[in-house]
Amino acid sequence: MIEFLTANAGYVVLVCALLIWLGIGIYLWRVEKRLLELEQRISR
Amino acid sequence: MLGATIAGIALGFYPGIAKARPLWWRLVAIGAVTIAVVLSLFPPIAGTVTDAVIASRADSTKAVPVLLKRDGPVLAGQALTLRDARDQRVLISVLCTPEVAAAIASTEAPFVLNVQRDGSDARFTSASIGAVNPAITLPYIMGLEERARIIFFHVPMSWVATVAYLLSMIFAVMFLRKRTMEYDTISMAAASVGTLYAILATVTGAVWAKFNWGSFWNWDPRESSIFLLLLIYAAYFVLRSTIDDAQRRARLSAAYSIVAFVTVPFLVFVLPRMLPGLHPGSADDVNAGPLLSPKSDAINTTKQILFGLSLFSFTILYFWLVNLRVRTENVYLSITDREANQ
Repeated sequence: MIEFLTANAGYVVLVCALLIWLGIGIYLWRVEKRLLELEQRISR
Repeated sequence: MLGATIAGIALGFYPGIAKARPLWWRLVAIGAVTIAVVLSLFPPIAGTVTDAVIASRADSTKAVPVLLKRDGPVLAGQALTLRDARDQRVLISVLCTPEVAAAIASTEAPFVLNVQRDGSDARFTSASIGAVNPAITLPYIMGLEERARIIFFHVPMSWVATVAYLLSMIFAVMFLRKRTMEYDTISMAAASVGTLYAILATVTGAVWAKFNWGSFWNWDPRESSIFLLLLIYAAYFVLRSTIDDAQRRARLSAAYSIVAFVTVPFLVFVLPRMLPGLHPGSADDVNAGPLLSPKSDAINTTKQILFGLSLFSFTILYFWLVNLRVRTENVYLSITDREANQ
């Protein structure tokens, strides 16, 4: 396992970076959605 | 660099800095950052035979990735004749392990081979093979290698932080001219997300410095100047938090934002270039100069395109964060106003 991770360190970093970014992206998407709902409720 | 920033700012302002982002805009932002992350980290680093010769002369144990092509048959137990895939005139002889030789025998396409110099500039050994037929490769920079990828994250973060402080100053001026509270909110949001970017630039730089320069912090002029900049903008947020009256807070922080921005060109563009330091572009930098100078041969076209994409995607991500911050503040102000009137 350690040998595989060492040999493919670049891809491991890529997968970690993508997971972190996708987490941030999903979070921003949800904040956007909830904020839109709040703005609509306030304008009503 | 300028084109990517302008494109990012133009898209960032659409459809209005405080208006909800349409679905396609959000998809573009998420897609652009995803592509930038993948293209920054996925392409293998591969140099030329010349790079391998220079690097191996400095350190004979170092294996250098080189983009090569087969030039002749693969015979068991014999050194292979391989051609530099970029400079086709250069032929080298490489003694490979049986596994590497078998992998080379199975392809006609270029491949990345990790080679070590073996006594002469035309003779190498190899114990491992990298990507076969890579669509794009990044250049090999001696002394940096894989760590050269920092340019796709650290530099855009730092650059967008500078643009952020400029935007904060512009909206501060607009507030003082028109006295519209929304401009104060935008100025504050621009500075707060800009400070987040400046912190990220500092953290990514510190981690990189640990592996390249030996310690997390070296008091290099650029490190010192970003530290000063962070202190100046930390004071901006302290100032805002100490004043309760909204109009007075907006007026004073707008004035402070303008004064704070006066230091930005000096701390970002002037001071680090006047003094000797570790960063590229310092006064004693005799090698490459500013890494992104069009006159410099330290950065190739592929890297420039990927850097531009990275800069564009982090710029629109910045505008999305500013947009969310402004709208959250507006919702908060609407609710508190409504409660105060009840």
